[in-house]
Amino acid sequence: MTSLGQLPLDSDTASSLLPETMMLAGLIAIVLIPNLGDAKFRIPLTSVRVPVLLGGSRFDLTNDPRMPNRISNITFLLAFLSSLVLISESPREVGGVLMADGFSRVFSTMFLAALLLVSVATTYRIPAKTNAQIPDDSDSEAAIDRKISVLIDNRRQVDFYILLIMVGLGMSMMTMATNLFMMIVCIELASLSTYVLVAFHKESPAGGEAGAKYFIVGSVASAIGIYGMSLLYLWSGSLDLDVLKESWQAMDGVDPFAAFGIGMMLVAFGFKVSAAPFHLAAPDAYSGAASPISGLLATASKAMGFVALFRVLVIITVPEGAEALWMVALGIFSVVTMTWGNLAALTSENPKRMLAYSSVAHAGYMLAAIAVVGSGISSTEESVVILTAVTFHLAVLVLFKLGAFLVISHLETEGKGHSIEHLHGLGNRDPMIAGSMFLFVLSLAGVPPLSGFLSKLLMINGIVSTSASTGSSDTSGIATWAESVDPLFWLATAIVLNSALSLFYYLRIGLVMFFEEPASSKPLKAAPSLRMAIFACAILTLLCGVGPVSEWLLDLVNGAIDSFMHQ
Amino acid sequence: MGDNKSESGLLVYIIPFLAVVPFLYAMGWESHDASILIVAVPFMTFPVILIVGQVYNGEEFWKSKMKEGGILALGALGASLSAALWLVYDYVDSLPNFDEQQSVTQWLEWVSFDLLQSDYTLTSGSKILGMGVWIDSITLMILFVATFLCFLICWFSLGYMNTDPINEDRNHRFYGEFVLFALGMFGMVLADNFLWLFIFWEVMGLCSYLLIGFYYWKDSAAYASKKAFLTTRVGDVFLMIGLFILYDIYGSLEFSVIFHDPSLNGSVNSDKLFWALLMMFIGAVGKSAQFPLHVWLPDAMEGPTPVSALIHAATMVNAGLYLVARMVPFVDVGHHGVAGLEDLGLIVAYVGGITAFMAAAIAFVQNDIKKVLAYSTMSQLAYIFTGLGSALWFYNNDEHHAAAVVFGSSMFHLFNHAMAKGMLFMASGSVIHEVHHAHDHLHHGHGDGHGHDFDPQDMRNMGGLASKMPVTATAMMFGSMSIIGIPLIGGFWSKEGIIAETWLAALEHEPLMYGPAILVLLTAGMTGFYMSRMWFMTFAGVPKSEVVEHVHEETPWIKMPLVVLTVITAFGGFAFALLGATDYLSSAYDYSGHLKLHKSTLLDSILYKLEYAFLPEKINLRIVGWVTIFLSFIVGPILAARIHGGKLSDGESSTPFVSWLVSTSSKFGKQDVSSLSESELSVALQNRLYFDDLYEGVLARTVIPFSQFTAWFDRNVIDGLVKQIERRSVSGSVQVRRLTTGSARDYILMATVGMLSIIALLWGMNT
Repeated sequence: MTSLGQLPLDSDTASSLLPETMMLAGLIAIVLIPNLGDAKFRIPLTSVRVPVLLGGSRFDLTNDPRMPNRISNITFLLAFLSSLVLISESPREVGGVLMADGFSRVFSTMFLAALLLVSVATTYRIPAKTNAQIPDDSDSEAAIDRKISVLIDNRRQVDFYILLIMVGLGMSMMTMATNLFMMIVCIELASLSTYVLVAFHKESPAGGEAGAKYFIVGSVASAIGIYGMSLLYLWSGSLDLDVLKESWQAMDGVDPFAAFGIGMMLVAFGFKVSAAPFHLAAPDAYSGAASPISGLLATASKAMGFVALFRVLVIITVPEGAEALWMVALGIFSVVTMTWGNLAALTSENPKRMLAYSSVAHAGYMLAAIAVVGSGISSTEESVVILTAVTFHLAVLVLFKLGAFLVISHLETEGKGHSIEHLHGLGNRDPMIAGSMFLFVLSLAGVPPLSGFLSKLLMINGIVSTSASTGSSDTSGIATWAESVDPLFWLATAIVLNSALSLFYYLRIGLVMFFEEPASSKPLKAAPSLRMAIFACAILTLLCGVGPVSEWLLDLVNGAIDSFMHQ
Repeated sequence: MGDNKSESGLLVYIIPFLAVVPFLYAMGWESHDASILIVAVPFMTFPVILIVGQVYNGEEFWKSKMKEGGILALGALGASLSAALWLVYDYVDSLPNFDEQQSVTQWLEWVSFDLLQSDYTLTSGSKILGMGVWIDSITLMILFVATFLCFLICWFSLGYMNTDPINEDRNHRFYGEFVLFALGMFGMVLADNFLWLFIFWEVMGLCSYLLIGFYYWKDSAAYASKKAFLTTRVGDVFLMIGLFILYDIYGSLEFSVIFHDPSLNGSVNSDKLFWALLMMFIGAVGKSAQFPLHVWLPDAMEGPTPVSALIHAATMVNAGLYLVARMVPFVDVGHHGVAGLEDLGLIVAYVGGITAFMAAAIAFVQNDIKKVLAYSTMSQLAYIFTGLGSALWFYNNDEHHAAAVVFGSSMFHLFNHAMAKGMLFMASGSVIHEVHHAHDHLHHGHGDGHGHDFDPQDMRNMGGLASKMPVTATAMMFGSMSIIGIPLIGGFWSKEGIIAETWLAALEHEPLMYGPAILVLLTAGMTGFYMSRMWFMTFAGVPKSEVVEHVHEETPWIKMPLVVLTVITAFGGFAFALLGATDYLSSAYDYSGHLKLHKSTLLDSILYKLEYAFLPEKINLRIVGWVTIFLSFIVGPILAARIHGGKLSDGESSTPFVSWLVSTSSKFGKQDVSSLSESELSVALQNRLYFDDLYEGVLARTVIPFSQFTAWFDRNVIDGLVKQIERRSVSGSVQVRRLTTGSARDYILMATVGMLSIIALLWGMNT
């Protein structure tokens, strides 16, 4: 039995947890600064105000509606950079339940990058009132100021960014957790914040409904997961991953507690990665939430689920050279997930729902790769390759999936974006944005030389090279080979077939953007920071597909996964 | 240079491009590392031109300052040119160290991360889709020709394309495709393996299709582009088969692997290799428009004139020659080559000889100025093929010295021809442009119908242009002289070597070589005739239509390339010959290093060259040489002058040499040949010896029924299948989406079902 330990408050800890420390500081700053000068202190996320007997009205600076966004941008930028720097640091255990190593830092860097992009992109994007207009280029100085003040009530802005920083804290702590309890707490910290973020547009019916559904289904899934965890505790007497691993290896046969426990935890993580059939609330949530938040759910939140799967499935339950308990289940669910996602996306008329289903399909691809790791036919090196591919895919997904949602978010500035008709003629209205969107969908479809192709290639290559050699090398024909090859080979085939199917709806986006007539040919409204985020995503989507940047990223991920598998 | 002052200011915009190479030099880069720029800069520029051009089409800045993308294209090609010059300088600088002339640099290895390499690779090679550069003297020469001519042609296009109202708001497409075409050639020459060579080869094929069909709304242009694409495609299929066989033999397509020991220690099956090389040669035949795949090239004249210059001088047709030149290591028995491949040399030489003769004959009767040049291109390329064929034959019989001489001469002829022909096409473009312009000017306001009868490319409408367009006339005169091989000018220095060595092979070694040898000798005389005819018809005599009176030479941007290339054509041949161009060019395969590159003094080397050209040691070669000179210098031009020569109108004059030539041409008497044009041979020649009809007849009976069948198959079976899949998927999609009811209760129900099935699977599969 290990205790959950205590965080020692020394400089070593602070430097190992630098990104988290920064986010904590940012959180404090964002709570305090907008209240400075006011005689009443507003309790965040509520309308309760406590008189502090000092001051009068707020200063100009603290009254500035853009202040919370700036604090959040700086916080995430610093946290991202420090996390990036920490990747190459040697592993360090903190407080008995956290392990700051390359693996966790690769993922926390990924999460922080996504949050940074979201934070940058949401400048002006989260109006306090749904009917508020955003400033136009043609407006006078005074009109811009007036519109911004209507648009953004900074008190509400504060809430948004507080939640965003909480998500960041939960996610980046979660990557380091080596204890299931700690892991669940961190996941819940992040998840609860995202539930509120999804429902942030509580005035609109879609927002409230989406948040409620997402919360209900999410809590049920979490409850099942926590119940599974308690079964595991009952079985082994500990929630420490190392202890669980040892008990698993010492297990004789299959203990029902262990099997049920793992199965139930799969439900919780399956919800997080939006695997079928636990994904059903996801399309509703994605389409009801503000697009940047949907993007966050589809990338960082999903990756969080995969970290949990890595920890629980790969570390605890993969026996040496034998088939893991969950391999067949995961293989079947992966195929169901990818097919369901792609089929449902095929006729979606709402681009956000389409992207949500595409995100389900991508989860299926990655689950298939993990199933191969559990098959027992892959050597450790091959497992490293496959998990590297999955992690790389998650990393580049932040670029193009989030990028695609940000483009939709750009349409939302004019109250559109919930129907594919709103994309019509985007190529004429704004060629740069349309070009970026096209790049994103191509990358989602896996077209070379974009990063989506590289990650998919690595994944399929990993699966095929692991499984194809199991086929009979008898020269008597392809039929004998097909009979004798390990069923896992057909997972690769399923991925390829599904990719072909998915092209249909991805390319449709390109088709309507460039070949349909727009309803109005007015150019999109100016949104400099959002455009900046979109272009950054587009350029990186390309750079991470070919050339030195992709090699650098791949080496980084590979190193992290290598140490993760050999710890 | 006569360019508009206001427009030359636009060159400011290309300075950033030109600054790239000096900047990298200052950063301490090596020239071969910078060779990536030769391809990379155009590669990054062409989408910019196309996209920006599409978006800002018609806007003032784009049109007048960027010349609809032309300035960007010029800048990109300028960057390529400067990087290529840097390479050339570096390698000429290290001339004495011939062993280091071949250099291989890897600069892009795609999808070849350590991860994929460590245990399992997609191919057996060390890399999967790597790319590098292979640099030797042939690479450098063709690279220089390509970059230099592309730059000049792009410059020329700024005047030619942008002042033609028919191209308005379309030129970004022209410049984008132009740059892509150019980078295809650069990449093909630089590639260090046959796969990349093939990829860039196809890039050129695509762009030739797009550019020839630039005026796609004209049926003839659309037809010509299809024809060019499909004909070269026939060759490409063979090339691909050849590469498959090659891969089968060597297990790699990389030059460094294959050329290291093409005989694989003597274990190579020479028959198999013969077929591989033959297939590759057919690919080259298609690309370089040789018999029997020559039919596309004359039609390719439907494209804008700069495109003709680009295809015929700078890029595409040279690709086939380059490929054949790369075959030398396979047959060079002195250096790990495979013996018993003499037949290949013979085939190459015969194809060359036949094409040379046939194209020259057809050129006799053409009246379209560009078509004459097109057939002349075919004929001259055929010379080079004949030379390469002899070189392959000599290499395979270990006659190393003769092989090196004829190989060097062939490559040198490629250089001379490219320079002269690039210039000739641009000059003909200048003529066409100005005549067209004058015609429009003349008939302005006369209503529509009139303009359609007039063909500004028909030489029968010209005549007497020497005084109207002195610069163009001078340029074209030197270009024609170079092509004819007038002693001491341009092509003379290289053509002489090809003819002499082919005869040497015939006289002393292989009687079968008499065929090509006689054909190329006759062709020399015919070249003298048809090139002179073209020049006299265009520039000499009195104007044959009133349009000519109104021609002026005033379009900006056009003259500069003409002047530069005239100087190179007039003096470059001799100068480079003195510098040892032939020896240098054959050095790529001169493993023994015994060629004498330098004479001690300039005078010595001049005397040596002259003696070598006019008084070779072997008496029979001396005879051959003088017969060639007699035919091409005396017989051909004088015949042409008798038929088409004549004084200018009174009071008109041109540059001194041109004036002298025109007045001389009137002194040989006059001969009327109109009766000849009715003869059967003439009609057959005008119909291109019925090759097009033959092919069309064969295609109509074989390929077209088959393609109708495949079209049916595609429409009904394949599309039907796809449509079925689509229909099923869509209905499946509707079914699946029905499960997403929108009610949280159902979602939880589904999750529960999922949980139960997971547990059932976990439990059931493991007990």
